[in-house]
Amino acid sequence: MAGPDLRLSAAVGLGKLVGSASRRLRLGGGTTLPGDVARAIDPRVLAKLAASLTGGTVLVTGTNGKTSTAAMLRAIAGTAGWRAGGNPSGSNLVFGLTAATLDRADRHCRVPLDWMILEVDELSAPQAVAEIQPRGLVVLNAFRDQLDRSFEVEQIASRLESAVNRLPPTSFWVGNADDPRVALIGAEPGSRSHRSRILFGLDDPSAARAGLPVVADARDCPRCRGELEFTTVYYAHCGEYACPNCGFTRPAPAVRATQIQLFGLDSLQLRMVDAAGLGTSISVPLGGVFNAANAAAAFATATAMGATGAQVNSALATFQPAFGRSQLATWKGARVRLMLAKNPAGMGENLASLATLDASPVVAIALNDGIADGRDISWIWDVDLEGLARARRLTIVASGTRTRDLVLRLAYAGFEPDRIRVCPEPGAALDALAEMATPGVPAPALLTYTAMLNWQRQLVRSGASQPFREAV
Amino acid sequence: MSSTRLVLGWLYPREMNLYGDRGNVLALTHRAERRGLHLEVVMIGLEAEAASLIPACSGFFIGGGQDLDQVTVAEDLVGRKGPSLTTAISKGAPLLGVCAGFQLLGSHYLTQEGTSIPGLGLLPMHTVAGSERLVGNLLVEADPGLGLRAPLLVGFENHSGRTELAPGVTPLGRVVRGGGNTGHSGFEGAWCGNVLGTYLHGPLLPKNPQLADWWLGAALACAGEDPELAELDDSLEEAARVEAIARTMHPDRAPRLRLLGRGLGPRGAG
Repeated sequence: MAGPDLRLSAAVGLGKLVGSASRRLRLGGGTTLPGDVARAIDPRVLAKLAASLTGGTVLVTGTNGKTSTAAMLRAIAGTAGWRAGGNPSGSNLVFGLTAATLDRADRHCRVPLDWMILEVDELSAPQAVAEIQPRGLVVLNAFRDQLDRSFEVEQIASRLESAVNRLPPTSFWVGNADDPRVALIGAEPGSRSHRSRILFGLDDPSAARAGLPVVADARDCPRCRGELEFTTVYYAHCGEYACPNCGFTRPAPAVRATQIQLFGLDSLQLRMVDAAGLGTSISVPLGGVFNAANAAAAFATATAMGATGAQVNSALATFQPAFGRSQLATWKGARVRLMLAKNPAGMGENLASLATLDASPVVAIALNDGIADGRDISWIWDVDLEGLARARRLTIVASGTRTRDLVLRLAYAGFEPDRIRVCPEPGAALDALAEMATPGVPAPALLTYTAMLNWQRQLVRSGASQPFREAV
Repeated sequence: MSSTRLVLGWLYPREMNLYGDRGNVLALTHRAERRGLHLEVVMIGLEAEAASLIPACSGFFIGGGQDLDQVTVAEDLVGRKGPSLTTAISKGAPLLGVCAGFQLLGSHYLTQEGTSIPGLGLLPMHTVAGSERLVGNLLVEADPGLGLRAPLLVGFENHSGRTELAPGVTPLGRVVRGGGNTGHSGFEGAWCGNVLGTYLHGPLLPKNPQLADWWLGAALACAGEDPELAELDDSLEEAARVEAIARTMHPDRAPRLRLLGRGLGPRGAG
C-alpha cells in the first residue's frame, strides 16, 4: 500500500474513541458499537487489521462451547509465549469481532499480537471467514438454538459448511467427528475441505451415555435423511454413528480423546492421542463430558497452531472458566456454580451432568424470556427434567421471568411440590441456594442468557464477584 | 373409574414435534393419571403398519413441524392414514392439531411456490404461505360454545401460514394479543365438534388445562365412559397461565443499544 491508509486511520481512531466513550458513559461494555462505527468508515477495517497479525486469526464457531474453547486456546497461546487477543465478552457477530480487533490495534493501525482467537456466531461465520481470511477455523457442533427454534439444524450447518469453503487454501480447519452434520463437511475425499480438515473426537465408550436425548436435534443421517444408528452417545447427538441406508459413518478422528475421567462438575482428565499415535495427558478444571470435547478441540487446534502437548496441558491445568461457564462465586458464605444453559442441547447436557456427576442437594434453574433468551420458552418441555427427578432427591430453586412455567414443568417432571422453591428474583434465589447448599459442595445454577446477566449483576452489586469485563 | 383406559394416538411424534409439543402429551397423561384414568400413548409415525393402530385410539394429537417434513407428513396423513382417521373422528374421537398440525386439518396448504399440499379436510379452511412470520405471545378469548371454565387461552405463535376460515366455521376464539390465523382477521384457530386446531403452542395444554380437559372429556365419551371429569387442584397451572398472560400484555421494551444485534428473524416452520 502506498502511503498511509487514511480511511483505515479514521476508522480505527474514531472506533477507539467511541469504545472508550461508551465504556466511560456505561452504555455497555463497548463490545459492538465501536465496530459498527469503524465499519461505517472503512468496511474493510477488520480485514486490514487482521492482516497485520504475525500468526493470524483463529475463529471458533458452533452452537455450544465456543466461549470455553476460545478461552482455552487463549490460555494455551499465553503458555506457548504467544501474544493473543480475543473477544472474551462473547460479542461474536461481525461488529463484535471488529470491535475486539480494533480494541487491540495501535496508533499505526496494526495489531501488535501474534494471534486473535475469536469466537464467532454460526450464522456470521461465512462473512467472518471471507473478511478475516483466518489461519484456522474450529467447528464444534450444530445444535438447535432456542433463540430461534425453527431455525433448522440443517440451516445452521450449511452456514458452517460455507464458512469452511471460504477458507484460504493454506488454512486448516478443525471439525468434530462425533457430530454427524459437522463430520459431513469435507467428507468428500480429494475435496479441498477434506484435505484441510483435522478431525477431533472422543474415543472412550466408558464415558458414554445410555442413548440419545428424548428430543434429539439430529438423529437423521445428514446425507440421506435415513435414521442414523448410534452405537455410542457421548453428549446430545454426538457419538459414534452409522447410517444403515447410505453407509455414511463417523470418520476416524485424527486427534482422539481417550481415557476420559470425570470428577464431578469440578474437573476432568483425558489422554489426547494425535495422528502419529503420540499421547498427552491433560487435566482441565471443568466438569462434564461436553468439556472433554471442548478440550479435545482446543488440543487439536493448538497443536495445529504449533503448540506442544506439554504447553496445552500446562495451560489447561490452571485454566479459569469463562464467564458463566461453570464459574464459581460466593454468596453469603456458600459456593455457587453458574452454568449457562441457553438452548435445549446445553440445558440437556447440564442436566445429564447434574444427574450423574454432582452431589449438591439443591440446584437453581432460572428461565427468562427476553429477546436474547428466545421469547418462546416451550423448549423446556423437550429437555429431560424427568431424568434428573429420577436420578437423585433434589430441591430445585425456580427463578426467572417465567418462573411459573418452569415450576409447572418441574411438577410434571416428577418433582414434588415441597422439592420446588419459588424465587423469581435472583437475590432471593441465591439466598435459597445458600441456605440449602451443603458446605464444600458448590450449588449449581442453570441460567438462560439474560438470567445469567442478571445473576452476575446481583453478585457484582453485593461485591461477591468482579464486573463482566474484568471477570473475563 | 380406575379401570378406564384411554389411548392417545400421537401422530408423527418424530416429524411434528417442534415447539415442546411433547408437553401437550405429558399434560394429557398427567391430568388423566391424577384422576385415576390410564392414558396410554401410542406413537403413530410414517410407517405403513402404524395405520392399524388408529381404530383403537380414543383421541389424537398432532403437533408442529418443519416445512420439509410437512409435505411427507401430509402425503402419509391424507393418503395412508386418512380413511381410518376420519372414521375414528366420526365416531367421536377428539383430534387436536397445533401449528402445522392445525394447518393439516384444513382442505389444503398453498406454499410460496404455489404448490398445493392437501390436508385432511376436517375443518372447512385453507392456509396460504405468507412472507412474514407471525411470532410472539398470543392471547385468545375462547369461543363460549366450547364451554371452557376459563375462556382466556395463552401461548406462543410462530408461523408464516395465513389460515382463512370458510364462512360459517367457528374460530377457536378471538385474538386479544398477537396475530392469530391471519394477523388481521381477529380470529384464532378453528373447531368443529371434536376437531380443534390452533396456532397456540408454548406448549398449549400444560398451562391451558381447561382445553386438556376438553380433550379428555371427549376421549372418555368416545370410549363409552362418563365424560364428567373430577376437579383437580390447578393452582400451578393457573399460576403459569396468569404469568404468561401478564408477559403477553406487558412485554419488556426492546433494549435500546442492541439495535445492531441479531439481524435474522425466525424462519422455517409452518
